[in-house]
Amino acid sequence: MTPTAGLSLEQAPPFSVPLRFFLAAPWYLVLAALLLLWRGPDLFASRWLPATLALTHLLTLGFMAQVMLGALLQMLPVVVGVVVPQPRVIAVLIHVPLNMGTLMLAFAFLTSSPDGFQIAFFLLGLAFAVALTAFHLALWRAPVASGTVIAMRCALAALLVTVGLGLLLDGFFGWGWRVSVVIVTDIHAVWGLVGWAVLLVAGVAYQVVPMFHITPPYSPRFVRLFALTMLVLLAGWSLGLWLGWAAGISFFTLGLAAGIAAFALNTLYLLTQRRRKIGDATLNYWRVSMVSLLAAAIIGISMRLMDSLTQAPQVDGLLGLLMIVGFSIGVINGMLYKIVPFLAWFHLQAELLGRAKVPNMKQLLPDVRIQRQGWVYVMALLLLLVATVYPTVFAYPAALALGINGVWLGVNLAGVGQTYRRLLVSVPASARSSQAKSA
Amino acid sequence: MNAPPDLVVDGRGLEPPEPMEKVLAALEELQPGQRVRFLIHRQPYPLYDILRRYRYHYETTVLPSGDFEILISGP
Repeated sequence: MTPTAGLSLEQAPPFSVPLRFFLAAPWYLVLAALLLLWRGPDLFASRWLPATLALTHLLTLGFMAQVMLGALLQMLPVVVGVVVPQPRVIAVLIHVPLNMGTLMLAFAFLTSSPDGFQIAFFLLGLAFAVALTAFHLALWRAPVASGTVIAMRCALAALLVTVGLGLLLDGFFGWGWRVSVVIVTDIHAVWGLVGWAVLLVAGVAYQVVPMFHITPPYSPRFVRLFALTMLVLLAGWSLGLWLGWAAGISFFTLGLAAGIAAFALNTLYLLTQRRRKIGDATLNYWRVSMVSLLAAAIIGISMRLMDSLTQAPQVDGLLGLLMIVGFSIGVINGMLYKIVPFLAWFHLQAELLGRAKVPNMKQLLPDVRIQRQGWVYVMALLLLLVATVYPTVFAYPAALALGINGVWLGVNLAGVGQTYRRLLVSVPASARSSQAKSA
Repeated sequence: MNAPPDLVVDGRGLEPPEPMEKVLAALEELQPGQRVRFLIHRQPYPLYDILRRYRYHYETTVLPSGDFEILISGP
């Protein structure tokens, strides 16, 4: 058992702290879709095209990092039991430069503007410096090193590597720094997607899969070993790439792919062991996410065993889309539907208990809306995957589906935020528990 | 007069926050002297927080099945 404190009113930050991240993120899916509509099938030609890099960073920084950092501000005090000081100030210091920096970076890629890269360097540098400092301080002071804490520490170490290399690459475009662009880009991408994203999702999954889906817990041995093993494999792989050591690269790639597959299979298995057999609307997001992760691992293994695959440019695209749109965006989308209505409901309940009727979670966000957006999301993912092979036919339908998916998610989440504010405003401040408590 | 019988809320195997929704609804029905007997498959930490905030009394017992029984009485 992990001795977590659970969600604690005394320790949880105000709802506005994570909410600003959660409400902004979906609109980056819309921006990415607009970019895809604008540039069309050409975007799928290579992952090295400036417009493709702009698209990638709208998704990874604008959507993924945005939600993940916002969620950590919420989760660290709750799961780890350490209070992040001044949560409102920290949230603004991360949120504002992260959003400005992401937009500036996309703009810089699209216009090849060195000035744009220089400004993005400072904005994103500031956002991640604040986030990494706050989160590392909190996590290394954690009273108990549970599996989740270990995985989060590893994830944040990987984020540090990802951001450091990202800034280095930005310096290449902004100031003409001497950087081995190809190798550094590969290491940057793999530490971001496999280190930061997979390990953070794993750390969170250890808590939320058993809690939200009433499954047995992950095996303690897996929980203890997974993140650290992956970190060692990542370090070995990077070293192999840096030294041009072919056998080492193959060995560590296979190890990383096997680790990823083990996590995906483990989670899919636990989801078949649910104590309550009625499906939950967010369950399918976990399934799509884990199947995508598994597919990425299988492609990664196949690439090592069949050289011809490594030469095909579509494989890079498939891997990137499976990891970003399939695995990461899928699970984040599903988790947003658990976290946002839950926090709204919980904060309302705590403020208004017995003084006003608080709608339950299903009333705040009906399942049918979650399911409908889920279908559009699956459609967008499939169309994007097919578009890597047949871009001229499928690029535009994929862009449309991605855009509709983003708008739908954004509207669904904003609706919960509005209901929350309306209910709080409808009850006079004197009747709320924070007042009653001091009376 | 005897105290009314305990209100039993069984949240075992339900997805969060349904158990907490049910138990909070039961607390609103509570008669003077009556208790809520809440059964749940894991420690309901967020509930404890709300109970403390509203000064309810509660006592937790671990059942042989590994589930938890929380007896809640009014403030």
